[in-house]
Amino acid sequence: MANRVKMVFSGLAKQFFRSPGSVFWTIAFPVMLILIFGAIFSGTGVSKYDLYVQDLDDSLVSGIYIDGLEATGVLNIHEVPVNEDVDAFIERNSVVNLLIIPAGFGQALTSGSEIEVTLRQDSTAGSSRAVLAAVNAVTQQANNEVTGGREVITVRSGSIVSEDLSFIDFFLPGTIGLMVMMIAVQSIVGYQTRFRNNGIFRKLATTPMNNAEWLSGMMLWMLVMVAISVAAIMVTGMLMYDVRMSLDLMAIAMIVVATGLFTAIGMIISQFVKDEEVAGTAAGAITFPMMFLSGSFFPLESMPEYLQAFAQVLPLTYVNNGLRDAMVYGNASGAMDNLLIVLVMAVAFIVVTVAISGWKKE
Amino acid sequence: MEDNVITVRGLVKRYQDLIAVDGVDLDVRSGEIFSILGPNGAGKTTTVEILECIRKATEGEVTILGHDLRTGGKEIRRQIGVLPQEFNAFDLLTVRENIAFFAGMYDRQADVDELISLVDLEHKRDTYFKNLSGGLKQRVGIAIAMVNDPRIVFLDEPTTGLDPGARREVWEVIRGLRAKGRTIILTTHYMEEAEVLSDRLAIMNQGKFIALGSPSEVVAQHGGGRTCVIRGGGEAAMRSLHDMGPERDGDDVSVRIVHKEDLVSIVTALNRDGVEYEEVMLKRPTLEDVFLKLTGKSIEGGEISG
Repeated sequence: MANRVKMVFSGLAKQFFRSPGSVFWTIAFPVMLILIFGAIFSGTGVSKYDLYVQDLDDSLVSGIYIDGLEATGVLNIHEVPVNEDVDAFIERNSVVNLLIIPAGFGQALTSGSEIEVTLRQDSTAGSSRAVLAAVNAVTQQANNEVTGGREVITVRSGSIVSEDLSFIDFFLPGTIGLMVMMIAVQSIVGYQTRFRNNGIFRKLATTPMNNAEWLSGMMLWMLVMVAISVAAIMVTGMLMYDVRMSLDLMAIAMIVVATGLFTAIGMIISQFVKDEEVAGTAAGAITFPMMFLSGSFFPLESMPEYLQAFAQVLPLTYVNNGLRDAMVYGNASGAMDNLLIVLVMAVAFIVVTVAISGWKKE
Repeated sequence: MEDNVITVRGLVKRYQDLIAVDGVDLDVRSGEIFSILGPNGAGKTTTVEILECIRKATEGEVTILGHDLRTGGKEIRRQIGVLPQEFNAFDLLTVRENIAFFAGMYDRQADVDELISLVDLEHKRDTYFKNLSGGLKQRVGIAIAMVNDPRIVFLDEPTTGLDPGARREVWEVIRGLRAKGRTIILTTHYMEEAEVLSDRLAIMNQGKFIALGSPSEVVAQHGGGRTCVIRGGGEAAMRSLHDMGPERDGDDVSVRIVHKEDLVSIVTALNRDGVEYEEVMLKRPTLEDVFLKLTGKSIEGGEISG
């Protein structure tokens, strides 16, 4: 038994590493995905937004206030010269967020009298809410400091960083879930149809190997391919987006169980796809809806209700939720719940697979 | 008396509307090369795939190496080796790795390097399977069929699609297996292959065995004796040999030889009537003639078509 599983695993592994194309795309695809989607969507999170600031006070105090804004880490501060006409400047530079600090700002703070900063925004821009939140937070921090009667106004950055997640925080675990599904389903459907059509199954059918042994060997190999892909995702996230997430035991368990689940799903699909040319399309027909409806790219909350209901029956939804619970929110019990759901699904699909698939002609 | 390693009685394989195998009886003796010859769609592959435990029979009794096919599939699979039709191995594994891969499927394993020399592939040991020619691929397939040191080896159309040179090399390998005492079941649609390799053969058509025996027995039994061909004899020869039931094929006229004296009578008659011809020759029936007669299939270049 163990020897046959080992043979299947090492055979597939050698085939894979000798095909430079397979190796390249297994790594390049998730990297491309994360780079492209990261670039497209990072503007919709709070990662970094441009804020133009016209400091009419130009005092030490206003300088500290601006430093405070910068210290939130989500704002790129651009200084607007004091003699500039604001309206003309906005139009000329397509500015969407502009803050005006009035003359006497520092004076007012030190004396405790009321002073108003003006934030002019294009409210249709995706970033407006986040920028407003950041400015509010910094302002409040400054007020607290002053009215609390401390000797110097300081804005500490750590305490006011937005708790909103950046897109990449949301996206990276989703990409891992997505790649587990894509790799397992696509590879399995590909292997199964290829080996069936080129006669390797006809040969295997004459050997003592059984379905469970074949499936085990395939799953072990899928784990390696998934691991390669996850490593590519993590490294890209760290290098390009300064992601500081790590894979804890719960996340790893989810990846392993999800690999088993999607391997089984791939096996079942390949039972119904006899044609090698159709294999990719059929795998796509199953994976694409899940890709978009299971919260890999967009939060489920932003979808219409009937789609949210549909997402509840998609296995990838629970994989994504579990990975986010584990990697982003640090929500161990949520992660465990999702892991159990995925585990039950995996066992069910594996049982079905062993029962119906394989290379026996009848 | 030789032991029968395979006994088949009343084997039937039925698909919805189609009867692929229609009541086959068969005994295969230990150590022989037994060929099943037939046109495409005759039921050869279906028959052997049942014996290989890949397909289930609809009806019939099959015993292989003392095990009933219905209950002893697992044990049978351990003791047989199979080269399936249109055999393929893993493209990006080497010859040696492919053989080792399949050897790993069995508890009892032959030595991989010995198998490589058995099929004479030492020089290609580390070549990827995808880079081998068709003939070499088939030799790898035969080596793989031997990985569990089987007593019975099934070779399903081992030389289909190979050029004549490669085909002869595969024949040599097959003879080598017999020399090692293996029983070989061979399906083929090449006449010459069946005639040259087989100890015994069966001709299969439309799911039935229509002839069975050694190649010479089958020819003697179904070949209809020798014929005398008068090449270029034409109409004049037809008239001259009228009493002897001549048959005409273009300008050639042929007459069946029933008695030894018939040949003398023919030549005498032709001389008497002053018939002009190119030559007179005596023709023995071949397996090809028998096949044509029994199946009605035409043959091109030794390969059955249509």
